[in-house]
Amino acid sequence: MKRKAWCGSADHPVSRRGFLGAAAAGTAFAADMTVLDALKQPALAEELKWQQKRVILLWLAGGASQLETWDPKPGVETGGPFRTIQTTVPGLHISELLPQQSERMQQTAVIRSLNTKIADHGGGYRLMETGRLPEPGVAFPHLGAILARELGRIDSHVPDHVSMYTSTEGRRKGTAGFLGARYNPMFLTENMMPENIRRLEAISEADHQDRAALRDFFAERFSRTVDSAAVASHGTAYERVRGLMASDRLFDISEEPQAMRDKYGPTQFGEQCLIARRLVEAGVPFVKVARAWWDSHGQNFETHRELCADLDHCMSALMDDLADRGLLENTLVITLGEFGRTPRINGSLGRDHFARAWSCTLTGCGIKGGAVYGKTDDKGETVVDGEIGAADLFATIFAAVGIDYEKEYMLGSRPIPIADFGATPVEEVLA
Amino acid sequence: MSRTCLWGLLLTLTLLPARSGAAGLPAVESLADQIDQAVHTRLEAAGVQPAGPLDDERFLRRLMLDLAGRVPTLAEREAFLSDESPDKRTAWVEQLVASPDFAMHLRNELDLQLLARLKTDNDWREYLLEATRANRGWDDLFREIMLPERLREGEQGPAAFLRERVRDLDDLTNDTAVLFFGVNIGCAKCHDHPLVSDWEQRHYYGMASFFQRTYRTKTGLLAERFDGRIKFKTVVGDELEASFMFLDGAATYEPPVELSDERRKELDELVRKAQREDDAEPPRPEFSPRAELVRMALAPTGPDYFSRNMVNRTWARLMGQGLVEPLDQMHSENPPSHPELLDALAKDFATSGYDLKRLIHAMVLSETYARDSRITGGAEPPAADLFAVAIPRPLTPRQLSLSLLVATANPETMPGTASGDEWEKKRDELENRANSFATRVEIPGENFQVSVDEALLFSNGDRVAGDYLRDAGDRLVRHLTSLEADDDVAIVATQVVLSRSPAPEEQSRIADYLSARSDRRVEAIQQVVWALMTSPEFRFNH
Repeated sequence: MKRKAWCGSADHPVSRRGFLGAAAAGTAFAADMTVLDALKQPALAEELKWQQKRVILLWLAGGASQLETWDPKPGVETGGPFRTIQTTVPGLHISELLPQQSERMQQTAVIRSLNTKIADHGGGYRLMETGRLPEPGVAFPHLGAILARELGRIDSHVPDHVSMYTSTEGRRKGTAGFLGARYNPMFLTENMMPENIRRLEAISEADHQDRAALRDFFAERFSRTVDSAAVASHGTAYERVRGLMASDRLFDISEEPQAMRDKYGPTQFGEQCLIARRLVEAGVPFVKVARAWWDSHGQNFETHRELCADLDHCMSALMDDLADRGLLENTLVITLGEFGRTPRINGSLGRDHFARAWSCTLTGCGIKGGAVYGKTDDKGETVVDGEIGAADLFATIFAAVGIDYEKEYMLGSRPIPIADFGATPVEEVLA
Repeated sequence: MSRTCLWGLLLTLTLLPARSGAAGLPAVESLADQIDQAVHTRLEAAGVQPAGPLDDERFLRRLMLDLAGRVPTLAEREAFLSDESPDKRTAWVEQLVASPDFAMHLRNELDLQLLARLKTDNDWREYLLEATRANRGWDDLFREIMLPERLREGEQGPAAFLRERVRDLDDLTNDTAVLFFGVNIGCAKCHDHPLVSDWEQRHYYGMASFFQRTYRTKTGLLAERFDGRIKFKTVVGDELEASFMFLDGAATYEPPVELSDERRKELDELVRKAQREDDAEPPRPEFSPRAELVRMALAPTGPDYFSRNMVNRTWARLMGQGLVEPLDQMHSENPPSHPELLDALAKDFATSGYDLKRLIHAMVLSETYARDSRITGGAEPPAADLFAVAIPRPLTPRQLSLSLLVATANPETMPGTASGDEWEKKRDELENRANSFATRVEIPGENFQVSVDEALLFSNGDRVAGDYLRDAGDRLVRHLTSLEADDDVAIVATQVVLSRSPAPEEQSRIADYLSARSDRRVEAIQQVVWALMTSPEFRFNH
């Protein structure tokens, strides 16, 4: 691995350094250097910036009910009190709790046949974030890290994996696992601005820059004497600091016109969706916005009345905004959680964890809008048609944004396909 | 055989002086020679000229990071450089492995190896420190960590390794195999290993069998159930019962126990109580699967995975990569880079009573350890597994955190090892102060990358500015401010932070930086110290 970092020419320290930067991100993998090299060509990079695929994951933490969202069953004992509404897609009905979405279903594909089997929060989360079952001793990367690696630019000046939480389950941060810390999320905790992205007031802008240049002077003198991808990654990380600091504006929604802020609304989820749009517009390949807490063991219907209103409004504002800016065709918006909820309504008017027959949606990039895939039985208890698992969903997501879902990472001598072995994309929802 | 008898025996073995097998061992210097000879033989065959030896100042930095877990203080540096005796390196190594810093650093390394970041557990860290201070054998630690309820009854410390994993049998199984035996059999859970014929499903479930009866009591200690066997399905659908089988294929059989249904129910109830109630004493079965694991691992019928793993991990820690790489892939299809050397070191390690200090001592005395990391000329660098050039190693979170504290302190407050007891107290205090920053730093592993989070933290974190770079009496910044000439600031700052004197162009670059900011000298000095401590030269051991 260390050998790969060497280009063999000490006569061209600049180009070697560039190569080291690229290699640092690709070490130990069957790195596709051709792509990395291509991204380094300014003209090509500029073009790619506009064609670049991005993904926004709206994470419904705690597990939203498929019956109160994308797969309603009105009139049966498990159906609950809400009615359905006709959408803009002939024959497709969704819950009346999502009226704005019903007017936009021609842009969205619904998958109603997830059977992921694992119905505890931790296990479900790990499965739906990595697309595979955990394995002792292997730290699988989360969806965001894979997409950051596959869709991001090695020398990107913006973050390439941003994760925003709201509460409880949404606090789970996500990890790059064996892909390495380069792809860890920039995680927003209590406030809406990432940590350490702004200069401290005690140092002036000019000194901050000059200090960095002094650092580079020492770093360069040291780095050129050693042959090490790890040392090169140190340089890459510091090279990105100035760019990331400049991206602090992306998180500042006060820069948006009031009319735009009104469209997203004043909720935290709405504001985070607006930040997500600002980020993808600037080229951030993956943003996760978590909305909690859907875990409605009691009072399922009240919970969903409130949370669905927020989801419906914010997701619709996001889709419209992306479409208006010409970004939706290159941005995939996913709604997903760790599982769905039981058709059976319990004694507290709640629905419990349920992973056997539930739903998610895909909108935008690479997706055939209006498609409905899979079918559950009349009561919603089992999948009767088109059953898929987490790995298939991951393959579908990868295929939608143009990533070869059979691509493999090498972990030592072991090949690990980015979508688990046996995964098949759902062609029916792909454009 | 009575239970007391069995446990009495194990206990006696534990209490035997660790070095009982040490008679007739070669001197540590000749072990170092063996290392160099083995490495040299391969270099010769490959026609590779190794890098020259490190100069004194760089050698001291490397040595201190490896033996003391921190950069040298200015006082230590001056003492070492002014020491004119020809064998000063040997003498310093000897002093350092006997120093309190050594015990603390080895404790930190073992903590990182075994618990990583599952938990920061003070009882566990105290337990390890007590062991490294007394230089207890690695086998002793292994026994106690695997059998805390039998050998360290009632103590929370040694129980931590199992306790933090007991909720998940796969974690217990795999982590034990990886961390103590250098073997990753996770792949063999669902099918025989597709690439490595050594590892079959029965090995995985054999290993799991040693832990399957283990449970956690309400008070956070460990115990074992009276029965239970793992059944597993092969890929062709046969259901098999796992045996208590070690990695080398040796298996142990459980003596049959006749229990009435009534007695069995009673025992089950006692187990349930121990899991639920604070003061319930867990029952102790005579047959302990974990004790069988310990017994078989320490008396292997095949490769001595236990010794080889620790030798390999220690080598990787000091030399930048293992003789077997990756560290958890010890199997017949992934031979070591220097097979005879690994055999010899593992044998010496076992014979010495699993003496970690001796192993480390021998490695750092070798020429192989003391090579330069710098590559000169434009030639293709030699393969890393030739150990022709030293491999730069990222500091561990604690090495980095401690080194920052040492390197940004007023050097007058950091006397170093020479001050004896006073230093031991100081070091203890630094150890505690290093805790919280260490949690912000990535643990080095395969394919290590510095994260941009770290670069942002150093660039803009108020902690970094407010603590390490503070203008206060106990900080380096204040000390530098008291120096009048900019050139002196440049020299002292570089010596303290990077443990070397600046090159002329570095010195003038710093002096220029300062003179351009004579209106804000304190800030300028803070910026210089910052630029030095964020250089990769500080971030790595090289």
